[in-house]
Order: sequence, then C-alpha cells, then structure tokens
Amino acid sequence: DVGSASDDDDEVRVRQKAPDVDPLEEASFDQELRAVVQESMEQRRLELRGRPTLNMMIPMNVFEGSMKDHHGRGVGGESGDEALDEDAAGSKDVQVKVLVKRGNKQQTKQMYIPRDCSLIQSTKQKGAAELEE
Amino acid sequence: SNGAGDLGAPAAVMEHACRYCGVSNPACVVRCNVASCRKWFCNSRGNTSGSHIVNHLVRAKHKEVCLHKDSPLGETILECYNCGCRNVFLLGFISAKTESVVVLLCREPCLSVNALKDMNWDLSQWCPLIDDRCFLQWLVKVPSEQEQLRARQISAQQINKIEELWKTNPDASLEDLEKPGVDDEPQPVALKHEDAYQYQNVFAPLIKLEADYDKMMKESQSKDNVTIRWDIGLNKKRIAYFIFPKEDNELRLVPGDELRLRYSGDAAHPAWHSVGHVIKLTAQEEVALELRASQGVPIDLNHGFSVDFVWKSTSFDRMQGAMKTFAVDETSVSGYIYHHLLGHEVELQMVRNALPRRFGAPGLPELNASQVFAVKSVLQKPISLIQGPPGTGKTVTSAAIVYHMAKQGQGQVLVCAPSNVAVDQLAEKISATGLKVVRLCAKSREAVSSPVEHLTLHYQVRHLDTSEKSELHKLQQLKDEQGELSSSDEKKYKALKRATEREIAQSADVICCTCVGAGDPRLANFRFRQVLIDESTQATEPECLIPLVLGAKQIVLVGDHCQLGPVIMCKKAARAGLAQSLFERLVLLGEKPIRLQVQYRMHPSLSEFPSNSFYEGTLQNGVTVNERQTTGIDFPWPVPNRPMFFYVQMGQEEISASGTSYLNRTEAANVEKIVTTFLKSGVVPGQIGVITPYEGQRAYIVNYMSRNGALRQQLYKEIEVASVDSFQGREKDYIILSCVRSNEHQGIGFLNDPRRLNVALTRARYGIVILGNPKVLSKQPLWNGLLTHYKEHECLVEGPLNNLKQSMVQFQKPKKIYN
Ligand SMILES: [Zn+2]
Ligand SMILES: [Zn+2]
Ligand SMILES: [Zn+2]
Repeated sequence: DVGSASDDDDEVRVRQKAPDVDPLEEASFDQELRAVVQESMEQRRLELRGRPTLNMMIPMNVFEGSMKDHHGRGVGGESGDEALDEDAAGSKDVQVKVLVKRGNKQQTKQMYIPRDCSLIQSTKQKGAAELEE
Repeated sequence: SNGAGDLGAPAAVMEHACRYCGVSNPACVVRCNVASCRKWFCNSRGNTSGSHIVNHLVRAKHKEVCLHKDSPLGETILECYNCGCRNVFLLGFISAKTESVVVLLCREPCLSVNALKDMNWDLSQWCPLIDDRCFLQWLVKVPSEQEQLRARQISAQQINKIEELWKTNPDASLEDLEKPGVDDEPQPVALKHEDAYQYQNVFAPLIKLEADYDKMMKESQSKDNVTIRWDIGLNKKRIAYFIFPKEDNELRLVPGDELRLRYSGDAAHPAWHSVGHVIKLTAQEEVALELRASQGVPIDLNHGFSVDFVWKSTSFDRMQGAMKTFAVDETSVSGYIYHHLLGHEVELQMVRNALPRRFGAPGLPELNASQVFAVKSVLQKPISLIQGPPGTGKTVTSAAIVYHMAKQGQGQVLVCAPSNVAVDQLAEKISATGLKVVRLCAKSREAVSSPVEHLTLHYQVRHLDTSEKSELHKLQQLKDEQGELSSSDEKKYKALKRATEREIAQSADVICCTCVGAGDPRLANFRFRQVLIDESTQATEPECLIPLVLGAKQIVLVGDHCQLGPVIMCKKAARAGLAQSLFERLVLLGEKPIRLQVQYRMHPSLSEFPSNSFYEGTLQNGVTVNERQTTGIDFPWPVPNRPMFFYVQMGQEEISASGTSYLNRTEAANVEKIVTTFLKSGVVPGQIGVITPYEGQRAYIVNYMSRNGALRQQLYKEIEVASVDSFQGREKDYIILSCVRSNEHQGIGFLNDPRRLNVALTRARYGIVILGNPKVLSKQPLWNGLLTHYKEHECLVEGPLNNLKQSMVQFQKPKKIYN
C-alpha cells in the first residue's frame, strides 16, 4: 500500500522510463555539494577557537528503559503506532532512542534504523563483545 | 451548459508539499528552516542526482532544516546534541556504546573532542546526515515509486531556474516559470503529458483565454430601450418579459443566465436596477427574467429599460479547480486513471467484478448485440469509450451501464453530460430502471422548468413529506408568501435545507448533473468511484475533469468524435487544442472506442451516405424502409422510395447586416416553398426542422417565412429554424438544410467541417432536402462525394418544386483528399 488513491486495490503498473540522470549534472552537483560542506567546515573552524564545552550527558531515565519519563513522542508514546512495532519485530529494522534537546530540556524519541546501518553494527558488536567478557 | 451558483472550494495544496515535485507525505518531507525561506522539500531524487531537499539546500546555500510534526521524530530542528550547531552539512548520528541510543553530533568541532569517547559514546561510526546526496533514508523517507511517478517530474534545469527566481521572488511557483507572455501564442495541447502539473500548465492558460473572451463578449451585450411586460410567478416572484434581440454573433441566452435590468430614473421614478435569472425563452424569442428582489420594482413603467449580461466565472473556476485537484490530490482519481489520462503507458487492468447474467435493465428496451457488447466491456474496464453514432441508442446503453454499476454496490454512481438537456434525458432513462436518481441543478436553474422535475434535488427537498421536515416546510411556506425571511429564520431555513439536501442526495443510487454541476459545493464531500459522462465529445477536457476528480476509479466516456466537438469562442484557445475533447485525445492515444452499430433513426436511404463516409460503412439499420414509409404524405420526392434530394440553387450569397454572417435569399424563398408543400401534404410543424450553418440565414428564414409564408403565419412560427450545432443530439421527421454559401472564389467556411456535415445529414428520420450550389460545394472532397451519391441515385434535381428535373450541373474537381 503506497498511499495513492486507493483504499484498496489501486495498484498501477506504469512502464518506467530509465532514470535519466545526466552524468554531467551529477558531477557538477557533487562538486557543489562538496564545496558547501568544505565551506561549512572552514567557517566553523574560524568561528570557534578553543574547545567546545561538553554537554553530552545521557539522562539516566533513558537507561532505565521505562516509558514513564519521556517527553513528547517517547517510547511507545503518543505516536502509539502499534502496527509499526509489529512491522519492526523480526524485520530488518531495529528500534533506537534518539536524544534531542528542546531548549535545555532533553527528550527521547523512538525511531527505527535498518539493522545493517553502521550505527547499529557498532552497538551490536559492542554488546556482543561485552557479553562474552 | 451554463453552470452557476457558488464556487466549490478549490483543492488546497498542502502547505508541506515539496516545492519542487508536490509530494506531501509527512514522512518524506522536511522544511528548510531559514527564516526567509521556510519551504518544504522531499527526499526523492526524481530525475536529478541529489534529493530535492539536498538540491534546495545546496542551490540556495541554506543549511538548516526542521522535520514535519507528523514524522516519526515529530517537529524537530536538526542540531548537534552537544553544541547546537544546525548546519546539516556537518551533522551526523553517533550511538552510545552500550545502549540503543543515538544523537546528532557535528563534525566540527564536537566529533573531534576526545572527552566524548570517555563518556560512553562511540565516535568511530559517525554517520553523516546527508549521504549519497540524499538525507538518511531512515530519518526522512524516500517517497514510494508510485508517489514519485504521480508527482511533478521536475528537471535539474527547472530546479536551477526556480531557485534563481526565488532569490528575487520567494513566493514564485513553478508555473510562473512557464507563463507565456501576454502576446505569446499559448502552448498547444500535446497528446501526452509528463505529469498533472504540466497538464495544468497547458490547459489553465487556455481556459483563461476562453474565460476572458466569454466575459468580454457577454459584457458587451448591453441593450437599451428595452420594453418590459411585467408578470408574477407562482412563487410570487416578479417576472419581466422582454425581447433581447439576438445579433448575428454567437451569444445565445440560455435558461439560468443572469441579467441585470436597469432603469435610469425620471422625474417620477428613482433610478433602479435588479439582477435576475432567465427562466424561459419563448418561441417568439422573448426572455422571461425572474427578478431576485421584488421590492421597489417600477411595474408602472414599461419602456426605457436597459439590460446587461452578468458574467459569471463559476464554470471556468471549476475547471481550473478540477485541474488543480487532479495535480495535488492523490485521491482525486485512481493511479491507473491518472497515468492513463496523461498518456503514460500503463499495463492494462481489468475490473474484478462479477458480471450480471443479463445486460439489459428493467424499464429499458431490449439491447441489441453491439449494445450488450458495450455494456459488458465497460463493466470490466476502468476506462472505456463508447462511440454512439446518430440514433444508435447511446442513452439506453448508458442507462443500462449505470444500472449495473449501481447494482455492484461500489457506492453512488455519478452521471454527467455537458448540457442540461442530455442530463435530463439520461436521468429519465436511469430512473426508469427503478434506481433512485437525484438530478442536481444549478441554483440559478431551479426556476427553469424541467421534464424531470420530480427527480431534481430542489423539488425533492420541497416535497419530502415527513413530519420531521415540517419545520423546513413552515419556513419554506413563509418564505414563499412573504418573499423574504427574518435573518434568524433565514439562517435556520438555510441550515435545515442544507441538511435535507444532503440527506436526499446521500440516499440516491445515482446523482445526475452537468459536468460543471459536478463542481457544486453541495457535492464537495461526496466521492464517486464510478462516473459516466455522456456527450463527452462535446465537453472540453478540463470540463470533463470536474466530475472525474471526485475519486473516480472507473470511468465511461460516451460520445461520438465524428460529430461536433465542444464550442470554443476564443480562436486562439481553440487553435491550441481546447476544442479537442478528452475522448478524442484518448482515441488518438490508441484507446479504441466501442462503437454502437445499429441506428434506429434514419430511413435506410438517409443513413447510407453517413455510414460510408463517417463510420467505415459499419452503421446498420434497425429500422426498415416500411417503418419509415410516409403514407398519406404527398410530397414530390424525385425517387419514390428515397425520401431525399439535393435541390440545386444558384442564387448568390450575401453578407448579413451585421457584417459577420451570411444569408442567401433564393435558398430562403425555396425553403419556404418546401415547408409549405410539407404542411399542405399533412406534415405538422413540429415534425419539420430547418437547419443552416449561418445565424444570418437563420434569422432571415424566420423572418421571410412569417412574412411571405403562403399559409397561416402561426404554422411557420412553430417550425424550428436553427443552426446545425444546436441541432446536435436531436432529431426531426423532416429536415431542410440550407447551405447558403454560393460564390465562385471563396471557400465554404463552416461547411468545410466534415463533423458538421455529419450532424446535418443525420437529424432526419423520414426525409431530407438539401439546398445548395453544387458548383461551389463540389470543390470540397466530402461534399463532392455527397453530390455524386445524390446524382447516382437520381436525387440531384433542379427546377420548380412541382416539376423537379434531374440536374446536369457539372461538379468541380475536389481540391484535396480529406484525411
Ligand atoms: Zn531554503
Ligand atoms: Zn520533491
Ligand atoms: Zn557540535
């Protein structure tokens, strides 16, 4: 179900045109993108001399893994999308908590990340390693 | 058709739709967070190497974004968890060493702070937010293939152009890029369209051109020194009767039109004006105008009034609205129909519905083989075209289709046609099958009498005789008696009426209205999966779209592209392709119409030439010579069993008084003689139709007959004299066709269109007489063919009517083959 016109069987097969990305366009876009990244880095280096202060404590409640302390769309929070949970179970996706700050408040939100993402790989490996020790 | 009433709510473009492609799925879009920008973009690449949001950020040098409130993370500005840096080109995710916790961290400088490593964070797997020129797909979803296919197909060049434009005009839209200059020829209608936005870009300017032309023409129609005859209608409303002289131009008043009546004032009367609706046009070309307000009407006066046309943009607004809905609302039509209408190659789909055992319907005549075939095919396909040549039972076939659709239980069926006359005919036939039919009329036409009044929504509201509705009835009575209600009563009345209308409309199996009427606000919340449009070849494409964008999944277009198409006043718009119907474009795209093949109208001699010339000889006769025998009618047909002849005329054509049309006095005089002969032989006026392509000749014939007719004047007044175009869809027992054009050097104008000739030749049931100059007409290949056909059958004649002789007139060589 792709959220097009249908409540039911609106599946439509359109004969696809080959995606015709112009290699010249691709090359020039790539170059521009890299320039923006480069420029951003340099700008930051100029702006910030000295070390940034550290402000990266993980709130304890995240580790408790409970549902009661979260703000916003917390774990199983008001998004309450149970179908999502079911889908995720046994699928390629892994649930993670995302920490964000709203002003000075920390919030935890739930998100699904593909199992093969490097982010996940590292926590998995670490977890496994720790178990072995 | 002339819709009026209030404008339906136009489809709202989602505020968060991607400004490049229109995708509006909240999981797929992010907002540029630069204060002067705040535009939304999606994470699809479309035809470009980077995703739309990344494209925008790079081109505009904008660097901050915010997620949608309905996305998994909710409304969140993406920023570094440690330092608050919002530059998305520097951000990436890191995870905690032991827990499934992730945060965004900037590359510069936070990622290089060693102390973080000691705090349980794993910095080795920093995962950039923008990867492969796209946002991380698990953070901002990529729209599905179908969503992308249905979105605007924007190119890298267009992106560059619009980004440039936004620097000086942040609110510019992609449409602004393509707007033609004032004097430019509009972009022509192509067979295929990339997407619905491009489709809209082509049609919107054409509708605008037509609307401007229509407005200019109608508003220039003011008439002074009009004489009024006053009357009062059954509903106590004041009615003004007057003659609104018709010039030779195209303007034709129709019931429902709005006019303003003015009196400039004199010593005894203040200046006065009031607006009203035309409710009737009498045979004497008198207009009946029902005034909106009955207070202060100077009924003691009869002379010196002025009349203006009040132009309404409603029908054009609804066409524009439908095209917008088609583009921005994914639920407007099914994906299959969307791609099909745009000319994309779509894999054929069948409708999975059980077929009925019988294809006819109760209350309708038995169907013939080609009609059964049509009903059966239509029920299995999401898009069908039915071609109904003259007299082949289009309406019955359509009614049978609607009957079976309604019985499938897919919800209410919507049935439309461009003209009110056709809608009424269909409503009547469908109602005969026992289905519950509601005929929705424009508010401005509620006072216009209709043959299916009992089916109209306004009638049913008034006559819903249940006790709960007594409140509405009381208020209605009060309103009828007093003409007006107190404002609180009026409010109550309106609310009750709306609720009742809704209730009645919802309980119907079938809703019938004009194409423009389908945009009525009273249908705004209705959805129709199954839509049938009759006479669809007489509607412009955007007009046809109005009923389709209410959720269509199965559509049936009925019509005949070999007869006249939609009437377009603005030549520029017509040239660019507005005169081509959707039906026709689909045919050109390779969609094969199902043709009804048995005609029940014409004497077999009359159907022969049209069948061979317009329908590849496939038209079969469902009536026999005997059934079209005219016993007791003593008319000098040159060949007794062939009630047809071409009457050779050599009189000159003239330009009419207005300078914009033609007339031919000799032909007019002979028309009178033929009419008189018919009347003397026992034919009654209602059986006779006189048709001519020119308004100048039409007016001249009406005038001539009433002054020079050999019989009682009244008899001639009852004979319908009209243009070919206004005769489309109708029939008469006897048709007299006056061709008018007769000059050695110029062309034959209107007569050149083979579709007009087809219509002219196929109106008669029992007999036809054509008056024209073979020397002039034979230059055109199709007319040459017609003349040859008449000559071969010894029906090309000249001389006095009581002594017709075969004509030996020489034809000219036809100029080129008609394709
Ligand atoms: Zn921006
Ligand atoms: Zn997009
Ligand atoms: Zn930072």
